[in-house]
Amino acid sequence: MQRSHSQRRRRRKRDQGSVEMNLAAMLDMAFQLLTFFILTFRPAPIEGQLSLNLPPPVPVTTPEASATGGTGIENVLTMETLHLHVVANDRGDVSELRVELNPVVQGKLDEANIQRLDQNLHAKFAVKQIPFDRIQIAVDGRLRYGELMKIIDVCHRQKLPDGSAMQKISFSEVDVGASSSPK
Amino acid sequence: MSDHNSDRAEPNLTPLLDMVFQLITFFMLVINFKGASMDLSLKLPVLGSARPLERHGKLEPLLLNIDTDGRVTVQGKKIDVEQFITKEARVLKNQLQILGTPIENGELPVPVIVRADRSAPFHLVNRILKLCQEQGYRQFSLSAMTREEKH
Repeated sequence: MQRSHSQRRRRRKRDQGSVEMNLAAMLDMAFQLLTFFILTFRPAPIEGQLSLNLPPPVPVTTPEASATGGTGIENVLTMETLHLHVVANDRGDVSELRVELNPVVQGKLDEANIQRLDQNLHAKFAVKQIPFDRIQIAVDGRLRYGELMKIIDVCHRQKLPDGSAMQKISFSEVDVGASSSPK
Repeated sequence: MSDHNSDRAEPNLTPLLDMVFQLITFFMLVINFKGASMDLSLKLPVLGSARPLERHGKLEPLLLNIDTDGRVTVQGKKIDVEQFITKEARVLKNQLQILGTPIENGELPVPVIVRADRSAPFHLVNRILKLCQEQGYRQFSLSAMTREEKH
């Protein structure tokens, strides 16, 4: 009895003053917006960054020069700057990579060579007497950027005495004519 | 009178509209406005250790897309890189002056995001890095894919 009474009241209320919005127009607009977003949707690429502090390169002092002695700011920089020298072939691949004067990588920079370079740098950075805080890479101008990034990645993985990652990396371009390529 | 009382099929559009609005909200939230500034045709190097850029401060980083021929694209347009970097550095210095931020040792406190194609020869990329360094940029973020894209 009570139920039928409330139903009657609701029906009366609806009949009297209910406002029914026409949703079709709004739905049309919403669908148009949705279509626009679906058509223009492009997922962001899975991109990362390698953050580096790239100071301008300093004049390179050769290890022989520092071995002969001498004073001045150049020698101080040599003590704290590790020099890498990368030679590329005509295809832009690494053909030789030297750490100071020691050839570490001969031939293409594959996984095994990357590991060898990593071990070599790790050993260099483990020596506490020579606290390297910066790496300077002399790069053959022909080297492909992708190959260089692999080397930078290995350098970036090295830990400084305070435990932070190596971020000070600078490049200097070696004249293609001056660098001797075995291939 | 009889028309009014006859059963008219009026679908309830409210749930449909709700769902469509939810979808619109989703697409609006995930829309990538920065995508316009990126040249997605570039093949970036692949490095597992690349991490998302942590941004500090309100100043926008400088984003440069470098293709295999060393041409620089910004916001989809090929630009004269030397002019562009000089202009950007000048504008940034003015902004910093207005904000009262000191420029220490001539170093601009804004990173340059370098999105260079993996096949680009180093001498072309280095030319652009040098131009940035000459203008006082020291912080660089080199973009790389965290894994190889499947095509």
